[in-house]
Amino acid sequence: MKKYIYLFIIFVSSFSAFAQTRVSGIIKTSNGKTIPGVNITLVNTYDGASTDTAGHFAFTTTEIGQHVLHYVTVGFKPDSVAVNLDGKPLNLSLTIKEAVNELNAVTITAGTIETGDAKKGAVLSSIDIATTAGAVADIVAALQTLPGTSQAFSENGLFVRGGSGAETRTYFDGMLVKSPFSSQLPDISSRSRFSPFLFKGTTFSSGGYSAQYGQALSSALILESKDLAEKTSTEFSVLTVGFGAAHTERFENSSLTVGGTYYNLHPTYSVFKQNIHWDQAPIDKTGNIQYKWKPTKSSMLKIFSQYSNNDVSLFTDNPDTAGVIHVIDHNKNTYTNITYQDNFNPDWRIQAGASYGNTHESGRLDSNNFRKNDHLLQGRFTLTRYFGQRSLLRAGAEAYQNGALEGWNYQSRSFNDNMQAAFTEGEVFLGDNVVMRLGGMAEHSSYLADWNLAPRTSLAVKTGTHSQVSMAYGIFYQNPDDTYLLQSHQLGYEKATHYLLNYQYLTSGLTFRVEAFYKQYADLTKYDYNGFPKTYAVNNYSHLYNGGDGYAKGIDVFWRDKQSIPGGDYYISYSYLDTKRDFRNYPIQATPPFAAKHTLNIVYKQYIPVIKSELSAAYAFSSGRTYYNPNNPDFLSDKTKAYNNLSMNLSYLTRLFKQFAVVYVSVNNIPGFNNIYGYNYPSNGNTREPILPAAKRNYLFGLLVTIGDNTFNH
Amino acid sequence: MKTLKLCFALLIITFAVKAQSADKYTAAMQKGMALVDSANTPEQFTSAANFFERVAAAETKQWLPQYYAAFCNLHVAIMGKQDNDTKDALYDKAMSYAEKADAIKPANSEVLVLEGYITFMKMSVFSQQRAMSMIPKANALLDKASAIDPENPRAYLVKGQDTFYTPEAFGGGKANARGLLTTAADKYKNQKTSGFEPAWGAHRCQVLLQQCN
Repeated sequence: MKKYIYLFIIFVSSFSAFAQTRVSGIIKTSNGKTIPGVNITLVNTYDGASTDTAGHFAFTTTEIGQHVLHYVTVGFKPDSVAVNLDGKPLNLSLTIKEAVNELNAVTITAGTIETGDAKKGAVLSSIDIATTAGAVADIVAALQTLPGTSQAFSENGLFVRGGSGAETRTYFDGMLVKSPFSSQLPDISSRSRFSPFLFKGTTFSSGGYSAQYGQALSSALILESKDLAEKTSTEFSVLTVGFGAAHTERFENSSLTVGGTYYNLHPTYSVFKQNIHWDQAPIDKTGNIQYKWKPTKSSMLKIFSQYSNNDVSLFTDNPDTAGVIHVIDHNKNTYTNITYQDNFNPDWRIQAGASYGNTHESGRLDSNNFRKNDHLLQGRFTLTRYFGQRSLLRAGAEAYQNGALEGWNYQSRSFNDNMQAAFTEGEVFLGDNVVMRLGGMAEHSSYLADWNLAPRTSLAVKTGTHSQVSMAYGIFYQNPDDTYLLQSHQLGYEKATHYLLNYQYLTSGLTFRVEAFYKQYADLTKYDYNGFPKTYAVNNYSHLYNGGDGYAKGIDVFWRDKQSIPGGDYYISYSYLDTKRDFRNYPIQATPPFAAKHTLNIVYKQYIPVIKSELSAAYAFSSGRTYYNPNNPDFLSDKTKAYNNLSMNLSYLTRLFKQFAVVYVSVNNIPGFNNIYGYNYPSNGNTREPILPAAKRNYLFGLLVTIGDNTFNH
Repeated sequence: MKTLKLCFALLIITFAVKAQSADKYTAAMQKGMALVDSANTPEQFTSAANFFERVAAAETKQWLPQYYAAFCNLHVAIMGKQDNDTKDALYDKAMSYAEKADAIKPANSEVLVLEGYITFMKMSVFSQQRAMSMIPKANALLDKASAIDPENPRAYLVKGQDTFYTPEAFGGGKANARGLLTTAADKYKNQKTSGFEPAWGAHRCQVLLQQCN
């Protein structure tokens, strides 16, 4: 009996001794740093351990034979090692490599500034855009605080690196928007048509952008609309300039928003002194519908449609008669955009879209009637194939039907153009530290009766955990402005070549970017015209041809710090620009009035809990601009004095009738700088009138109430 | 007789080994629950998270290991002193485990509460940029959790907690949190859970309620 008990004990102990293997070891990075909390797993078993603060781990397992030991922790690449378990203790020394995450991954940043909520590398969030002091929730005004831009003074548009306003094109969910601004008025720039609250992200590209975007010589402003609304809610806003309302209904897989605004600037303009002699201050009526449908987890359909109607009338100086011109302008715009995308397979994505926009502008200059209509119909299709984690190949095609009409009393002229374009582009990651993008776009225009082929390429190389260098090169074509195409069918594509070199340092709290650029223009439209043409009027040009050229070079610097001031956040952007061009009716290459040599913006935001308010301040500086002086034989060699502006916003968060509410006060040009945008001369050059901002100082008060959205209101 | 005893001994051993393997999952869950219940530091939560991740990797048909892997990673990030990027990565990891739990057991109130909790905490990493989009998302998840199981106290606790830490100006604050936490406390009194199903939060609820008064 005893014998058997011994036998039993021996049997059991030998069994367990044989079955148990002790696995221990240490995990370090390649430079010898130990990592705590690494999870070590014997694959397909529960067995494993975590490393302690010194990087050591140990566990015992009853498994035997060949197994795989897997080890992983946040911020590092998962790795594994083969082990043979035979009862003998194992002591392992393992290394773990840092993983590439979204923030420290190499990305192409040359020329590109992303804003939005989803991307960690985003320079501004959509709320930043909406609350930038002085921008009064105008996307383009907010983007003018970013490097590479010059402030728009009296001409519409976003002026990028020496380019005219027309050289920046706006893309809404990938579709080109023909008229993103309201009418150009004499010496007054107008707001962009789209509310910043429509978008979840904005990519502002100041050059070297992807081959997906055609028809933009200088800059692409890529707006990405929001996805499904989370909740059913109703919003009301009351401002000193008008009011608005919007209702959002959330369904199971879709959401519908219907909204409208009515703005009338008359009451404000009658209280605060205006430099403009308004006959009827601007009245704007806008209504829009947004529908989003998410039929499956991987797909999304978006429909956006907007109608807006602007009326304005004013008296502008006529330097030649020393009298005034009575300008009446009505502008009606519709814009509809339908896009669908589906990641129907982890490796494939399709995007398809159609958009239609048209503008009817009509009015009077004294007793003369004028009208300007334009339209753009576009269809677009893109297919993307992903390779591995990040590399991709993308190809697409699009077709445009583009046209315009211009009328003066009983005369009119028009043009119609059919365009087709195709593009392809590859993004290839060569290891973790290098990414290259190579692609091109080909376009054909029936009206220009010509092809173009635009190659684009970019390269980015990681130089440290948070830093990288990237460069870009590309050729960009754009059709001449409608106003030139209406008067000539002999014109061809205008052309720009971009060279960019960019350095970026990025952590979650700090952003530093510096970018050097060189841009060469060719084939810009030139014509004969007496004097310095005003873009608002209907002008007759003669001898239109693609004989212009020019260059722009400079350096942009951006610094943003979100971490050093508690509750505060600031950024500084500076742009140096050296540009000259020979276009329009310039006799020689000269610096155009819309380009400033030095531009500086400082934007600061601070949340102050005591008064439950967010304070935002923005300072803008721009060195003197050139203006046309007929008395000076040197063309465009006179300069205005420098421009200065300091604006402030205060948003007070409160509750009204138990609903979330924001009270909003915004004042622009607080110190009352006397800014001068330029001068208007009569043809004889005897006198001059300064071009002034519409008002020395602007004030805006507003109240926004959200009902039903218990986001901040449980 | 001796042979019989030997046979009997061997039989017991065989039986024990077999029972052990059948109950391996239960034993692992018990061990894991003990780890979670005793965890007070981020390091202890990391150990618990790693343990559940190991079980979750082996048991792809069970939602609870995925759920607790998410729960523990969430607490590693809440309690730890990591930099913001690491916190973000931990919340993403927690969310990926919650999504796996959701895929195994869809429309589960407990999983939705956890997803709402993770979403709110991820928002707090960069609240200025994320509040506008992520607070509504977190609330939608918690509302859905309450709709599926109105008696789930954790849906109210998490909502109350979110409110507690949201500035008064945004509709948060102690006064607004009190109602939600009181509701949660009532529901904790009647909560019925079995096995390893989530039962956490009653103590946390009392701690927050006391701070509200």
